[in-house]
Amino acid sequence: MNGTFPIRHILVALVFLPALYLNFVIYQTGNIWVALAMLIVLALGAFVYLSESAYTFRYLFPGFLGFGLFVIFPIAYMVFLSFTKYSSANLLNFDRSQALLRQETVSSGKASYKYKLYAQDDGQYVLYLEDDKDPTVRFASDPFELKPGVQSTGEQEAVKITALAQTDQVKGQPLETGQITRQKLLPPMRGRQFALPDDTLVGMAGLLKFASRERVWTVNPDGSLTNKKDGHVIKPDFQQGIFVNDKGEKVGVGFRTFTGLDNYIRIFSDPRIQGPFLRIFLWTVAFSGMSVLLTFAVGMLLSVVLERKDLEFRKGYRTLLILPYAVPAVLSILIFKGLFNQEFGAVNAFLKAIFGFAPEWETNPWGARGMVLLVNIWLGYPYMMLICTGMLQSIPAAIYEASAIDGSNPITDFFELTLPLVISPMIPILISSFAFNFNNFNLIYLLTAGGPKMVGGGIAGETDLLINYIFNIAFRDSGTNYGLASAIATVLFFIVGSLAWINLKMTGRKVKI
Amino acid sequence: MTSEQKAVAGKIGAHAFMIFFLCLVVVPFIMVISASFRQGNFAPSRLIPDKVSLDHWKFVLGIPYEEIVNPATGEKRMVKATTPPLLWFWNSIKVSMIASAGIICLSGTAAYAFSRLRFKFKGLTLNALLILQMFPMVLSLVAFYVILDFVGRYAKWLGLNTQPGLIMVYLGGISGYIWMIKGYFDTIPASMEESARIDGASQFQTFIQILLPISLPIFAVVFILSFISYMSEYPVASVVLQSSDNWTLAVGANSFLFEQEKLWGRFAALAVLSGIPITTMFIVCQRFIIGGLTSGGVKE
Repeated sequence: MNGTFPIRHILVALVFLPALYLNFVIYQTGNIWVALAMLIVLALGAFVYLSESAYTFRYLFPGFLGFGLFVIFPIAYMVFLSFTKYSSANLLNFDRSQALLRQETVSSGKASYKYKLYAQDDGQYVLYLEDDKDPTVRFASDPFELKPGVQSTGEQEAVKITALAQTDQVKGQPLETGQITRQKLLPPMRGRQFALPDDTLVGMAGLLKFASRERVWTVNPDGSLTNKKDGHVIKPDFQQGIFVNDKGEKVGVGFRTFTGLDNYIRIFSDPRIQGPFLRIFLWTVAFSGMSVLLTFAVGMLLSVVLERKDLEFRKGYRTLLILPYAVPAVLSILIFKGLFNQEFGAVNAFLKAIFGFAPEWETNPWGARGMVLLVNIWLGYPYMMLICTGMLQSIPAAIYEASAIDGSNPITDFFELTLPLVISPMIPILISSFAFNFNNFNLIYLLTAGGPKMVGGGIAGETDLLINYIFNIAFRDSGTNYGLASAIATVLFFIVGSLAWINLKMTGRKVKI
Repeated sequence: MTSEQKAVAGKIGAHAFMIFFLCLVVVPFIMVISASFRQGNFAPSRLIPDKVSLDHWKFVLGIPYEEIVNPATGEKRMVKATTPPLLWFWNSIKVSMIASAGIICLSGTAAYAFSRLRFKFKGLTLNALLILQMFPMVLSLVAFYVILDFVGRYAKWLGLNTQPGLIMVYLGGISGYIWMIKGYFDTIPASMEESARIDGASQFQTFIQILLPISLPIFAVVFILSFISYMSEYPVASVVLQSSDNWTLAVGANSFLFEQEKLWGRFAALAVLSGIPITTMFIVCQRFIIGGLTSGGVKE
């Protein structure tokens, strides 16, 4: 063992020194907590790979690291988000939201300036200001960008302006007022603010003038803001995640805030969520249950038929029957999307020609549900067939011989001998298949995208599973409500997690630890 | 009916049932092949194309071809894919191969510790691994985005919109495979390793030189299963990879059908081209995979 000693030290150094350097860079760029967390992980790693007492963990460390970062951290993050109000309307953190309000200004009328805009060679602009009362007071700004025709929002930092000495001239091409309007530079200029050397702000006041402006709000030590003009106060409301005035009216842009159990309460009390949630939950359970039962039934049936020793081409049949399992599921799902196309698809063309009717696979909720189930059976039966075949082969033939003497037929054999023998070892597999289908995101997302839309259900679709519903709330809805999506996700995780736990309890006896 | 007649009737019935079922399985595939050779972008609906054309195949392979824009005047224009869709297939293979190799390293070493070494809370950790993995990847997307965005600020090649970043995220999904490999290790008696230890081999040497070579079959199974599952992975790849030259097969294939105008012909050609090698690989390795499945793994 001593022979490998130096090599290990060199390897550890080769990995950890660059990592430490990176850690330092992260710390320097201001991410203190991330840097600290990384330092702890690095120290743990160094301990594991250098100390003999942590030998076992040398095998576990890399796997645990990946698992921690990409499984446990996302779960923790989700649970954390579920207690917050976090959506497109409450996107910024508190400081940013407050800073936006602080950037609001009004014209103070203290001083006014003539201005000239100079176009620079690199496409940027320089603003030149000259005091109305005293033409010797002159300023020039740093170069800045203007996007023609785009109204700037008040979020940009003020452009710095410096005093211009008497003899200096501004570089660049001066623009006439007519040119400025023709080049659509007025709208972006109006939104811009400029900061004089003494930090007073200057902004556009009319077509030909700039005037000094002042901030609307002053910040109080408790985080509330006071209006300079009339003295009214707005306070941050941490329940709603936005600033409100005395009358309760909202001011400014919302911010992320901790709201405790609000999101959870909303799932079960807000009728707009509760209605779709309940229906989607029931459909999810029904879909998973039916998928498991039907794939099991089909898979079992096929494996029983294939077990007939006297059947020709058994091998060929089996190979072809596995095809749906062998072809990447994404491709098969998209193929079926085409086959079940209501107007042009093969399925309806066939049904119309033979039976004279064409089901509405895309617009009718029950048609869509039926299609989803049919496709899922097609995708899922080969797995069940493979498992059942394995189990059938482990049943001793003597049992059937004994029952044959009693004069039984294949059907009673199946229900009285085969099924009872197979079902109990199958249960863990059925449960994990149920859990898998419970979260079968791809199938729904690619096949129906949840459609048809649920009437009065907002973004909910009739075929959406819970996981697709969460995805829609978080990513597709105009509200992109991460907080609510996280709360539903946490509930979902408890459901599926308990299924896994039950499954473990049932198989636990067999797993040797 | 005599018992012999009965047996013959049963056999014919069994064959009829099999053939009926095989039609359901095979016909969709034939229709896709036909759609890939059919002129125009129609949903798969025919067994034999009415007008044969190789345009979709040329498009998928990145070969330029002429398309008639206006049938009345016979006006034509050259069409060539800006990103040859075949590239997506290659991207998918790259990502899935590297991720699967990484999965094998991470889950193999962890499984060794769970099977051969003693440490506290072993059973608890094993169960926790399995239950926590039940949290679907789709729901972790917000967190993945935050992580990759952060990493990308320091190492651009590992951040958002990069394949290494996607591979890194994929490496989290190891717990099912730890269980599978541990199950296999448990069936191998430790006596051989113990005698090697007595002869002076280190613990690590017994793992690499004795246990690994006997366990190659289970590693093959894990590699194939994880390869196939990553070939089909859609949601994470669609969020992480934004520019079309980085896309994987799943993201690219769906992009043909995403907009209002669905390009079925192009999709079909891509599906056939990429589906055949993967399917062939699966059929060839069937024996391995089925062995692995019946030992308790679940394909997801």
